[in-house]
Amino acid sequence: MNIPKLIRIFFSSAVFSFKAQFEWLNPPMWLAMKFVMSLSQMAFFVFVGRFLLTADSSPAGITDLVAFIAIGNAIMMLSWNTIFSVINITSNDKWGGTLSILLATPTPRLPLFVGRAMIHVLDGMLSVAISFVFAIFLFGVNFGNADVLALLVVVFLTAFTMAGFGLLIGGLAFYYREPLVFANIFTFILLIFCGVNFPVQDLPQPLQAVSYIFPLTYGIDAGRKAIAGEPLVTIVPLLVQMSIVGLVSILLGYSSFRSFEHLARKTGRMEAE
Amino acid sequence: MPPQTLRVLYSAFRMAMLHWFADPQWVIPNVIAPFVFTFVALTLFKEASGSFGLYAVLGGGMMGMWGNTLYASGFAIDFERWQGTLEEVVAAPSNLLHVISGRSVSNALFGLTNMVAILLIAALAFRIPLGIANPILFALSIVLTLLSVSALGLIFASSFVLTRSAQVLTNGLEFPIYVISGSMFPIALLPFWVHPAAYILGPTWGIDAIRLATSPQYASQSFWAGTDVNVAIALNLAMTLLITLAYVAIAAFLFKKVETKSRREGTLVQA
Repeated sequence: MNIPKLIRIFFSSAVFSFKAQFEWLNPPMWLAMKFVMSLSQMAFFVFVGRFLLTADSSPAGITDLVAFIAIGNAIMMLSWNTIFSVINITSNDKWGGTLSILLATPTPRLPLFVGRAMIHVLDGMLSVAISFVFAIFLFGVNFGNADVLALLVVVFLTAFTMAGFGLLIGGLAFYYREPLVFANIFTFILLIFCGVNFPVQDLPQPLQAVSYIFPLTYGIDAGRKAIAGEPLVTIVPLLVQMSIVGLVSILLGYSSFRSFEHLARKTGRMEAE
Repeated sequence: MPPQTLRVLYSAFRMAMLHWFADPQWVIPNVIAPFVFTFVALTLFKEASGSFGLYAVLGGGMMGMWGNTLYASGFAIDFERWQGTLEEVVAAPSNLLHVISGRSVSNALFGLTNMVAILLIAALAFRIPLGIANPILFALSIVLTLLSVSALGLIFASSFVLTRSAQVLTNGLEFPIYVISGSMFPIALLPFWVHPAAYILGPTWGIDAIRLATSPQYASQSFWAGTDVNVAIALNLAMTLLITLAYVAIAAFLFKKVETKSRREGTLVQA
């Protein structure tokens, strides 16, 4: 096994996948959208929460609903990168006509596959950082007790494991004509299942089990604990559960990626049309 | 309106319908957000009494119309660009504004089906009572709000001709309108400096009329609290109509400007 070659493939595919999005998006627009999306999604749910507070009502077990919603949405923002963008990597290749060329190369698939997702982990972390700034300065969320190291670890691991989940869904992009549909569905349903705006326990019982197949559910819970000041050591069990779910996603994703690649070759459905 | 214009509007409307029926999955990206947002709001509001459910359900419906219209403005132009037909559409003697208007109304109309679906889910899954106090004024409010949302989409569409980032702008502009128009909460909760932006949005007044026509329970939270409900609805509809006409005038001006610019600089396709 040629390790330097694998590392080179990993990094070059990461850089190319990031640069590729600027084919349809210019850098100032990319940055502006990061701010607009972070602020508007968080603001929407914070105001819905504040409206609920006018009736002196709040979901059971939540002492500060605005902070609960703001933190949940801030961490959820990384899904736009790690789910939506990761699913769209293959979609863009497909529509750009470069997917067949890419798969005709003898490049080992694992570093190619994981590398393409990893740059979105960093991009997702940037989205979360911007959202935290909005949470603090616009919605008065108290980060005074936050364990910064724990929070950093939580955000990185959540982004990493969610990118694994994005790869799992992204495998579908090989075979289906419009992966954007999956990208939208899987990004938005996280708002329902992952305890972003209300505790998972408020969901109907059968839906609660679904929540725990998403690494984001553990990540948001761990993030709230880190911001409340809990040290890393007490959050570790949640992070371990999240890592297991994320690892399983990456392995299943890689395997589905290869299966769908094979199926797309066999049925000639690699191109967009 | 000259018959030629009506024919262009109808053809564009028909084409958008045919596109939708040919590939209905494309509607999912535009209706998924309103569905999810309504579900989240209803879950948050489930213990609260009063008009909370009404806000969530009607707001979700309005969001569905806006999501679809924005899609019509943004993706329709990008779609023409990808297919290489944008030059032909612009080069045709038909006014581009009329072409996009026909599509915009068609997509907002699909947003109505989204509203019906949201109402049904709210009634069946969340047991929200769906009685409408004044069905005629409710229907009129819906139609005017739909037209207003379509006209607002036209203003955005003019800028989409100039950019290749229409898709991104479509995603980015969806949520701010949900917030500023107070689709699921009273705009009194927004910071005071956001209020002027809320007042120049047609959907802000439209949703107020829709809520008033649905339930008198909402009257105390309307912009026109203390006024007779029917008068308040009429005032809201007048505001919606006035703003819609202003949007159409602005869109006509912008389309002319943008079309001339893109023709002169030859940037239509590689913008």
